[in-house]
Amino acid sequence: MEARKRAALCLVLLVYCVDLQSHPLKLSLCQIEYASAEKTLTIELRLFLMDVNEALVFDPDNNELGLGQPDEVPHAEGMLLDYLNRFFYIKANGKQLALKIKSMSLNGQGNDAALGLTFSYPSQEKITSIEIKNAVFTDLFFDQSNVVYVHVDDDSRSLMLNKKTPVHKLVY
Amino acid sequence: MRYQTLFAACLALLVASCTEPPKKESTALETGAAETEAQLVARALAIHDRVLTMDTHADTPLRMIEPGFDMSVRHDPNESGSKVDYPRMIEGGLDSIFFATFVAQNIRDDEGDSRAKALAMQMIDATIESTLENADTVGLALTPDDAIELERQGKRAVYIAMENGYPIGSDLANVEVFYDKGVRYITLVHSTNNDLADSSTDSKGPEHEGLSQFGEEVVKEMNRLGIMIDVSHASDDVFYDTIALSEAPIIATHSNARAVTEHKRNMSDDMITTIAEHGGVVQVTMYSGYLRAAPGNPKRDAAIAAARANMKPPSEMTDDDRAAMRETLNEINQAFPDPLATVQHAVDHIDYIVSLVGIDHVGIGCDFDGGGGIEGVFDASEVMNITIELVRRGYTEEEIGKIWSGNVLRVFREVQALAEQKATKAAI
Repeated sequence: MEARKRAALCLVLLVYCVDLQSHPLKLSLCQIEYASAEKTLTIELRLFLMDVNEALVFDPDNNELGLGQPDEVPHAEGMLLDYLNRFFYIKANGKQLALKIKSMSLNGQGNDAALGLTFSYPSQEKITSIEIKNAVFTDLFFDQSNVVYVHVDDDSRSLMLNKKTPVHKLVY
Repeated sequence: MRYQTLFAACLALLVASCTEPPKKESTALETGAAETEAQLVARALAIHDRVLTMDTHADTPLRMIEPGFDMSVRHDPNESGSKVDYPRMIEGGLDSIFFATFVAQNIRDDEGDSRAKALAMQMIDATIESTLENADTVGLALTPDDAIELERQGKRAVYIAMENGYPIGSDLANVEVFYDKGVRYITLVHSTNNDLADSSTDSKGPEHEGLSQFGEEVVKEMNRLGIMIDVSHASDDVFYDTIALSEAPIIATHSNARAVTEHKRNMSDDMITTIAEHGGVVQVTMYSGYLRAAPGNPKRDAAIAAARANMKPPSEMTDDDRAAMRETLNEINQAFPDPLATVQHAVDHIDYIVSLVGIDHVGIGCDFDGGGGIEGVFDASEVMNITIELVRRGYTEEEIGKIWSGNVLRVFREVQALAEQKATKAAI
């Protein structure tokens, strides 16, 4: 299935934090996929909306930015990208991909609401390496865990990045 | 014959007279003196050392995919959030553990399924690799007796489990593939519905009204192979469908009592009674949200309110302003963390289940590295505090042995015995 459609159909993937008041495990999920046939590299990032709000407006329950919602304020996406550019990047074959959001969606409700971000890049080159930095929310939470799934054609790998280990390079 | 009997009796008497009686120190309980706290702790630690301890649920394979993470190194849970490594298992007297391979639910199509399978295999391989790299202290366990044998050798037992049946995809043959890799229980579903079953926490509500048709086939296949069926995370309907279908007892590897703490993830009295009637076991988990209603955190709320009162509107802040504010929030969060549930809360759940169905249907599954960790049992190095609290409440060594491993091992043996019977029948 085409990556765009897959992203649109994605369920809420974020897990664990059923009881966010006690917030026992902080988690985000990133999925990177490259299919040679489609020559497109797609990144899907899923973040708890509460964590995004805490990082951007310093209040997990303040939804004034309206990210991923019809009433999203004009500067919201810029604020989010400013934040992500500090804590997240992908380098394909050594070249850092400029973060430009292709689509944004909100899944789930209440404390379980997760913001889904999709980034898409045409890529004619065969992928020989992918370097990932994912330190989102590690500036807020010492125990933030960022799970990354990487699918390059038929090769699927998973890794967990955090404050101690924010960057990792996969070689193909 | 009479002479033979007399000779045997004399021999037995002689052997008995030569056998040194077991040394036993007089305890405060026996002498009638009040037991001091230090004596109680010493007694509890001795019991903890003698019984086989088993934690039926840890998401530590998620840690194992962190580049450079080393299970042989002791980690500080307050620095990294890590709750289990082999040094801390030894420190806490934790003899055996089920490491659950977890793949987050994603697209349910052939491509998504095959990716989930590949990711699960990678985590299983990482778990096996960690046992091989630490073969002097741990061993991979596949049968109930392996934990006992490994303990005899002075090693910790590592079992492999799977949390979320998503990697099975829609191919029943994958159940045997995972069994052959060492998986000994499968949690049918996680936080959202999958192709097997409905979750207790999917915000979209039920999809199959219980087990799906494919989920029923998976349950039968798990019975055939000797894989324990875990109903933690499953909806109530899935629980009842599974227990009606399974020929072997089932387990809830990390769930608590709903009557003590109202939560969809916990089990109702009827579910606990039913699982017990079918010989199964509920493993109490150390997850604050399932152990008690969360109290407020007024000190942190006040500190955050004060910090916000002095800040510029976020849209007018520079990047440096925002970074400084996040740093302030981080400091406040660390200074005033949300209060955790306590070991007393956890043993309240054990007490309740025992009062409801007796001592034979309760155990412990901490959910370390998956959100578990409470005051007094924050990581694997502190699990002895559960035993201390059990002793404090009057549980005997025999009862504590059942709670720590006896009950779940009984289920494990019954599950494997059923599989052997089926294999024998199929061979005839």
